[in-house]
This record gives sequence, structure tokens and C-alpha cells, in this order.
Amino acid sequence: MADKDSYIHLARPLPVVSVPPAQATTSPLSVVISAQALFSILDHSLRRNTDQERVIGTLLGVRNEDGAEVEIRNCFAVGHNESQEQVEVDMDYHKTMLGLHLKANPKEVLIGWYATSPELNTFSALIQNFYASNGDGTFPHPAVHLTMSTAPGQDISIRTYISSAVGVHPDRLADSCLFVPVPYEIKYADAERSGLELISSAKNSENRSAEVTTDIHALEKALEEVLEMLDRVSEYVARVVAGNTQASVAIGKFLMNTLSLAPKVSPADVERMFNTHIQDVLLVAYLANTIRTQIDLSNRLASANLGTATPTPAAAATNPTATGTTTTAGGK
Amino acid sequence: MADKSKIVLPASGPLKSVQVDALVVLKICKHASSAHPQVITGQLLGMDVDGELQVTNSFPFPSTDPSTSSNDPDSNLASAAALAPRSKASAWYQTEMVRCLREMNVDANSVGWYQSANLGNFLNTNFIDNQYFYQNALNERTVALVHDTARSAQGALSLRAFRLTPQFMAVQKEGKFTSESLAKHNLTYRDILIELPVSVHNSHLLTTFLHQLDTPPIPNPFNPFSQPSSTPLFPNFDSLDLSIDPFLEKNCDLLLDSIETHYTELNNSQYYQRQLAREQTKIAAWLTKRKQENILRAAAKQPLLPENEWTRLFKPPVEPSRLETLLNSRQIEQYAKQVDGFTASVTAKMFAVNGGLSKTQEQLQL
Repeated sequence: MADKDSYIHLARPLPVVSVPPAQATTSPLSVVISAQALFSILDHSLRRNTDQERVIGTLLGVRNEDGAEVEIRNCFAVGHNESQEQVEVDMDYHKTMLGLHLKANPKEVLIGWYATSPELNTFSALIQNFYASNGDGTFPHPAVHLTMSTAPGQDISIRTYISSAVGVHPDRLADSCLFVPVPYEIKYADAERSGLELISSAKNSENRSAEVTTDIHALEKALEEVLEMLDRVSEYVARVVAGNTQASVAIGKFLMNTLSLAPKVSPADVERMFNTHIQDVLLVAYLANTIRTQIDLSNRLASANLGTATPTPAAAATNPTATGTTTTAGGK
Repeated sequence: MADKSKIVLPASGPLKSVQVDALVVLKICKHASSAHPQVITGQLLGMDVDGELQVTNSFPFPSTDPSTSSNDPDSNLASAAALAPRSKASAWYQTEMVRCLREMNVDANSVGWYQSANLGNFLNTNFIDNQYFYQNALNERTVALVHDTARSAQGALSLRAFRLTPQFMAVQKEGKFTSESLAKHNLTYRDILIELPVSVHNSHLLTTFLHQLDTPPIPNPFNPFSQPSSTPLFPNFDSLDLSIDPFLEKNCDLLLDSIETHYTELNNSQYYQRQLAREQTKIAAWLTKRKQENILRAAAKQPLLPENEWTRLFKPPVEPSRLETLLNSRQIEQYAKQVDGFTASVTAKMFAVNGGLSKTQEQLQL
């Protein structure tokens, strides 16, 4: 991944004095990032002040028991000012926001921080040491630093680091540290799948937006996609059979595996199962529509005739019996 | 507050549509699924651009600590979450959060609130009260977004935006739901809510990122048989899943419950009608008696007794609120429509599977 950048940021070495630093564990860990956190960072990057090169924020998430796996689930922006000489991070703001977030998501803990530029400099080290510090920080767990390059016209690259202390003079300990890259993985939770599908279906459209569709539209789209994939595969197979394309063993094995997944059932069984199920489905649909009509009727009668409400219970009285059959049908 | 918002937002016709940022979609999904099947609520932030409500950020309302609730934690927790948009404690939380977010250049205007639901069972008095609170007390141009966790798991994302209709607002303002007031405002169960079309919007940066996420990974040269771990985001083949019974079963259960409620409500209103009729006969009897007495008194040249005394003597029963019936009817209609939509797609899938399977079997036998 990282090729040109260096990870070590040393302050000018001074005569060595051995001080055992109170440093967090630096054992390797794997980072899982949920899509929501990344989207949040991108949003923050868009909303930065025009004079700001990069923006930073706090990462929240969960850590497993031994701390070897970290999942970044959430994040929030923190204001900061950076100039040639100094950096100022709004710590009060960070604390307030952290408190507010933890109130709504009691399970999440402080994980680390993010910056929207791939650069690592002295200020990064300073902020990193704050986040890893004892007390307010993540100590004894390492703080995770995530960089996301958001320069326009370039690929968005994400990197994650943890830090370890470097042996320099204690005076400069606060602004020096060694950033150790750690692997990360972007994860989509099952619950987010349907949302992400819709979001990414908008990526090729001109106005970058997509309508929320109905189930039947989603089905249509999925079917079209499957058909297209089948066409592509059969075309490929045809080409291989004709000898125009070199066959790939890997693709062949994948195809074999997929084809062997087709269930082996007798046509009579299929027919029987199909019939029973379709009967259930149609019956429920019919009853649901009947109920809808009954309710409509009942409401009309109730609002039309102020004095005589007698026909209304008659209309509704049929409903419980009707749905009695509904549940038995659905329950099969 | 209401006056202020009118100054900020010059009236530009009714809200036409809702545009939700991708970030908000994911935030709601995450929040809803983390507490599933409990109901969660949260705040929506954004702005109103010419009748299109742009929702650009959101944050969840804090859920109450389960340990503080007494012997029935489930119901307490659920009602606490449902009440959150209106409660005092979260008002403080909201202002604090909005203040903090404003510092970070987020569009810090309240444009509504969101709620999670399970198979469309969100139509209850809490929902209505919350939205009434938002539309009446805070800002007229607000929406309620409903994310249906159970239906989203079936394939397509279910995110709907609702507002209360002006008729309903008027009736709610009067505070009574009697047959008369419903007739006066011409309110039926169909006109409680209006649904606004929802679309999802991505930023340029996000579009770049999505394109990048979807580029297929370079196959591992050492092990070409390893499956790529991540699946493409689009399309999502969950909608091809052929599971019929659980969905229908749950839906039927919910429908049955609603019908039971409907039946109870009907009994209530019938009871009221009977009470009313009984009282009316009593009053009529009293009146005729009084009239006869007065005729006798007039004949005996005695002062007449007042004839309108019955208002003091008899108390006609109070008509039960029709709100519950209205909401319930709307809820039943929604379930029925849901079943309809589901059966439409499921029959298509079933015919496809039947056709496909019989064909493969025939081919195998050949």
C-alpha cells in the first residue's frame, strides 16, 4: 500500500536519557471499518472551511475482548486550527461530543481519530499522542489513526495506523511517534445492504440521486442483472467451446460449483409444492383485499350515518372469521 | 419559534419531495438495526430548498437506560424511545447536539425526525403525536421518515416520508375526534397522512468513493480459486430470495391484531350509541312528563316549570374518541397493501422457480 511516504517522524534527537514511556500496547491489530463512518468522514471533508487543508475528527467503535480487533462504527468531526508552527484542537468540543455520542450509543468506545489527508507530520504525532494518552485517551489500548485522502480528481485512499513511541529525549516525547500501518477491511452490515444498494445505484446517474423503489422494481432489476450475467457466462462458454478463448481452470471450477447447487427434486414434488404455496399466497392476498374493502365500508358507514351504527358491526363481524382462515393458510 | 421559522422560510408552496443524503440513510439503517426489533427515534437535520426537503444529517436520540425501568422493561423502553422526540430530556440533548454540529458547518436546522418500524406497524398515537408536535410546535415544514427494518431485509430499502395533512392538523388542534368534527373537516382514515416521494442523494466525493469500492479486486495470483471476500453493492440479490411463509405469517398476525382492535373500537362505539339512545328516550319521557305537568299547571293558573331543566338532570354519554379507529383503519389498509405488494412479487418468483426447476429436471432426465 504505502510506497513513498515514511512513517517515522522524529524530532531532532537529543542526548539519550532512558525513560520508560507509559506507552500503550503496540501489538498488531486488525481494523474493520463500517461504511457509515467512511461516509461521515467524506461528508465532513466536504463541509470543511475553505482555508483548511485537512479536517480531523474522533473515531468511535467497538473493541473485542483482547483488543486485537477494532471495529470503527461511528465518528464525529472535531474543529482544529493548523498553522506552520502550531496546531490547536478543540478539546472541550471533543469531550462534549464524545459525551453526547456515548449517551446515544452506550456500547461504543473511543477508538482513535481520523484526518482527511494522507500526510503524517509532527502535528499528527502530537494529536496521536493525545488520543493514545492515559485518562482521556484510549490507553491501555492503542489509538487508531485513519487517513483518508480526499483530494479532488484522485483516488480516495484509506490507511490505518497505530503508533509506538520512539526513543528520543523526554522533552520531545509528546510530538514524536512511530506510525505503524495496520491492515483494514471495509465491512457492510447486513442491515445496511439494502441501503447501500440504493446509494450505489445512484452512482452512475447524472444528478447523483436515486428514487426509493418498490419491491417489484427491485426484483425486476435483480432479474435483469441475473439474465445479463447468464448471457455473459454462456457467451464465454460458447467462445471456449469454439476454441476462440483460452479456458480458465478457475472459472471452470466456479461454474461447476455453481451448477452443482441446482437442487435435485422430482418434477411432481416441485409441482405439488408450487401448487400448495401459490394457493396460500393467493388466498392471503384475496383475504387482505377483502379486509381492506370491509374496513373502508365500515368507516364509510360509521361516518355517514351518525344515528344508526347497526350495519357497521355486521360488516366487521365477518372479518374475524375471514382472518381465522388467513392465519391457518399463512402458517402452513 | 413558529414565527421565527416563518421568517427564515418564506412560504414556497407545500413540500413536494424529500431528498435524503446517503450518510443519513446509513445512519438510520445502523441505528435501527442495532436496536431491532425495538423502535428507535432520532433527529433529522437539513434544509428546505424550494419545496424539496434536503436531509443532510441526523443523530439518534439517546435510549433510556434499561436498568432504570421497573419490572416491565420492554414496554417501558419501547414507549420511552417512542416518546423521545417530545420528551424534556431529549430536548436538551437535541439543542446541545445541534449546537455542536453547527460548529462543524452542518446544516443545523431541524427538518423532522425518523423512526424505525417492523413490517409497517408504525401507525399509532405516538407517531401521530410526535409528528403533530413537530409540525405544530417546532416547524411546519418537517417530515417523519420511517425506516422499515423487516421489509428492508427482504431486498429493497424501505424508507418512507410522511406528513400530517392540514385537515388532520385542524382536527387535532381542536383536540376532539367525534363524528361531527370528522364530518366537518371531511377527514377519513385515508387523509391522516400524506406520503412524500423519497430520493437518495450522493455527494461528488461519495460517487468517486463508490466507483472505487466497486472496481473488482485484482485476483490473487497465488490462489486464483479464492473467492473475493466482498460482494458487489449493486445489485443486491436479496430480493430474489424465495421465503414466503414467515413474511405472510407475521403480516397475518399483525392484521389479526389490528382487526381485533377494530372490533373493540366498534363495540365501544356501539355501546355509546346504545347509551345515547337510552338517555334520549329518558329525556324525551321526562320532557313529555314536564309538558303535561305544565298543561295541568296552566289550567290551575300556577307558574310554569322550566322545560330546559333536563340538561342539568341528564348527562348524555361522551362520544369516544374516533382517533384510534381512524389510525387502526389506516394501519389495516397499510398491512393489506403490503400483503398485496408482497404477493405480486412472490408469485412472479414462484412461477419462475417452478418453470426453471421443471425444465432442468426434464433436461437432466433426457
